[in-house]
Amino acid sequence: MADPFKPRAPFAPWDRRQLPGLFDVEETARRVGNYKWAEMKLFEALGGWVATVPELDVKMRLGTHCYHHAWHAELWHKRLPELREMNPDRLTQPANDTLVEFVAALTEPEAPDQTIEKLVGVYRVFIPHFISAYTFHMNNTSEITDAPTIRTLKLALIDEFDDWRDGEMMLQSLIDTPEEVDRAAAHQARLEKLIVAAGGIAGPGSIGGN
Amino acid sequence: MRKFFPVDSLARDSRFNQITMRQSQADPRTVLVGTDAKQRPNSNRLTPQRPDASDRARGLMHGIFVGEIQALEGAGRTCFDFETGAGDSTDNVPFALKLDMARQAWDEARHVEISVKLSEWMGTEIGQYAENTVLFEAACSTDPVLRLAGVNRALEGLAIDVFTTMKEFGDIAGDPYLEFCEDWMLADEVTHVKMGSDWLRRITENDPERRKKALEFQSVVDKIFSFGGTRSDSDESPIGLARRFRELAGFSDDEVEDIATVSLAALEERKAFAARARADAVDQFSAS
Amino acid sequence: MTVTVAPQEFKFVQFDAAHIARIGEQLTQLLAIDRPVHIEVDETTPLGRVAVELGDTITVRVQSGAFEDSRKPREQSEANTSVNLGRALLRARDRLQGGFGEAPADSDLSLRQVAAWETYCVGRLARLGLQVNEQRWRYNFRNRHGFSDVSDIAFDQIWASDGLTWGELEAISTAGAEGAAEGATRP
Repeated sequence: MADPFKPRAPFAPWDRRQLPGLFDVEETARRVGNYKWAEMKLFEALGGWVATVPELDVKMRLGTHCYHHAWHAELWHKRLPELREMNPDRLTQPANDTLVEFVAALTEPEAPDQTIEKLVGVYRVFIPHFISAYTFHMNNTSEITDAPTIRTLKLALIDEFDDWRDGEMMLQSLIDTPEEVDRAAAHQARLEKLIVAAGGIAGPGSIGGN
Repeated sequence: MRKFFPVDSLARDSRFNQITMRQSQADPRTVLVGTDAKQRPNSNRLTPQRPDASDRARGLMHGIFVGEIQALEGAGRTCFDFETGAGDSTDNVPFALKLDMARQAWDEARHVEISVKLSEWMGTEIGQYAENTVLFEAACSTDPVLRLAGVNRALEGLAIDVFTTMKEFGDIAGDPYLEFCEDWMLADEVTHVKMGSDWLRRITENDPERRKKALEFQSVVDKIFSFGGTRSDSDESPIGLARRFRELAGFSDDEVEDIATVSLAALEERKAFAARARADAVDQFSAS
Repeated sequence: MTVTVAPQEFKFVQFDAAHIARIGEQLTQLLAIDRPVHIEVDETTPLGRVAVELGDTITVRVQSGAFEDSRKPREQSEANTSVNLGRALLRARDRLQGGFGEAPADSDLSLRQVAAWETYCVGRLARLGLQVNEQRWRYNFRNRHGFSDVSDIAFDQIWASDGLTWGELEAISTAGAEGAAEGATRP
């Protein structure tokens, strides 16, 4: 066995984590508050839609995914006080009014023959934007100072990817005709325009750029 | 999507046929009353010893299946129908309560999955029996505290009674899957009842009037969920009152006694109602 | 063969006596029943028991649940009427055609024996083209014989059989139940 008292580098040769990151504590807290708000709106919508979809398999998936996003919201809620925000409700806000508009449009469909629209909104627009914003945050924050946020992002991303795949599978199994392809595309375009105008789930700069 | 979704709009595929409690109760046929008492079974309790045990178990399993769908829908609606707030008025609930309801939605979704698999195992097709929508009706209250009392304490309490009956049935029959699955679902239901009890206490801590109203509502729902005598301590009821698991779920002795009394009253009311419906049917037939 | 139904008009359920009689006539032809059949429906109970009395006429006493559409309470189901009447008539035919002389009276049959005989009847009905759910009857058989591979083998054998005697049916059923009791449970 090697000498246990021999000095070793604090960062092993394979540990390439870097100290610098794009976000300070305040900016991180703002983003986390936006994430929590968006995850809340998503799990509320999924829960509300359960009763409105006639497809039994979709009904069960929505109930399962509802909890995934509630759990993400809870993780972000718990992260906020660690980012010097002792009143998490203060930062639990939409990034901007356009995102509120987006959520209103997302949750508009109710009729039992609008399952495609409901799923398109969640799985072809909202969740892809979670994936992109979370990925951007994970890859740009300080790998050392902000490790707790990275851990939550990683956990959330596992669900986001799994749920996105579930949703896409459901959509592909529901979309049978050219008319349904058009319906899905039209609804996606309408919602995508809104979320692009909002700048993403954390507003402009959700995935950098601004 | 509107807030507060009406029971008659619950979305189902073409296999399902929904009926209301009123329609169900309007059936003048019942095993509880009749002219020929000798033909009536000594006990209506669901046990493997009954000649029709397999079919009765299949019917109850389908009832569990649709009940789980409605419980899933109810929990989901509570996530959506109310704003997030302090829980100090009827239009908002605490964030943590919504998280519990989302967790419950996941649990109920798993229960639907389990029920589908068990139904296949028992040779029942989806939608083979009529779906009574009474469970979701209790989840439609516009006061979240009443909804918790009605759904988490009354409905999930009924689920404890039903799962205990089915677990015992599977155990005695030697059915490895039924006993196993019911045991797991029972564990979840005890959790859901505790959620309801905890939130009821916390939200109404400084509002005794609201608490009283919620408990009264629970009592009404408990009576409805006795399904006109389907659940009670009496052997005339197919489903017994699971006293031990109710204790685990946080019901006090007095509360269990109250439910027992209410359930027996529901049984007697059902008998009287069936006798009246029977007489009415004969009168109508004679007049026609 | 003539088939009669009582009552002719129903008070508590929306059944059609003529429809029941038509189904009965088709079944008597299909099953080669050699004597008249009288069907008595007890519409006062939702239970689904079916009892048979043999004589110059075969009398089938049916509780209304046996002919009911479980999706639409109090309405008649053609499929349930066919299968439940069919298995009663097959049991009657078994007793009348011989080979079932040692079978106990219906009221003395054990739950296991009832399950085995029903499996035998429904398996034959399925081969005659009636719509049945095999898994439902397998589940019933398992409840009475144990949940085991051995009981499943017994079920498969009975389900696929024609021309069994009571002794043969009873032997397969007993072996299935004993195998389960010896602990030959499924993994």
